[in-house]
Amino acid sequence: MTYKVDEIDNKRIVHLNGEIDMEVSDKARNTILPLIEAGHEVHLNLSKVEYMDSSGISVLVESKKLSEQKNTKFELVEVSKPVEKVLAMARKFL
Amino acid sequence: MSEIAHQDHTEKKAFLVNSSSLKDVRSFCRDVFEKLQIQQDLKDELVLAIAEAAQNIVKHAFKNAAKPNELMVVQISCENNKLQIAFYDRGTPVDPKKVKHREIDNVKPGGLGTFFIQEIMDVVEFKDGKKPWINHLVLTKQL
Repeated sequence: MTYKVDEIDNKRIVHLNGEIDMEVSDKARNTILPLIEAGHEVHLNLSKVEYMDSSGISVLVESKKLSEQKNTKFELVEVSKPVEKVLAMARKFL
Repeated sequence: MSEIAHQDHTEKKAFLVNSSSLKDVRSFCRDVFEKLQIQQDLKDELVLAIAEAAQNIVKHAFKNAAKPNELMVVQISCENNKLQIAFYDRGTPVDPKKVKHREIDNVKPGGLGTFFIQEIMDVVEFKDGKKPWINHLVLTKQL
């Protein structure tokens, strides 16, 4: 997994690429959570993520919860088809 | 149910029990499902279910602390359009009664992998692990 962060004022647009599984979920977590912790509005672009499993969903849930605690925004701006399918399945559960 | 008659086929492969192997497990599955001509959407779901089961072995049966040469085996069989995926490992014995996804009103993400497996597969069962194996999980799906 690789990532890129664009900065626009207080907004941080995080672009993740590749496959997000247990091996790399900490890297995703350590990229996103500190931005939210610092009070930034985080917009996550997953349009180039080819695979995501429950580890990746965990990162999204943690990010959303932290953003609520910090009173800031965490949003998915674009998702790939494979991610959309996993999110749809996860929504039945979460 | 698939209208395609999938050829009977069996393949198995051993993987080191660690998180770095998960991409190799996915790659193995994709190759086998390609040979079986399983359509893309179903293939993606099956790969997810198998990867989640392998992840459970790494994370729960071995608690992320397997010996460096510890192996798990994944076997994919298709017979009469019935797909069976078997996992063998030598981790802590799994108590099938304790393997369940958590309650729906709990917003923590843990247990989601098990939920995915149960959503995607028709049957999820633990069988007696024959030596040298301790755990033997079998996932079944009618194609």
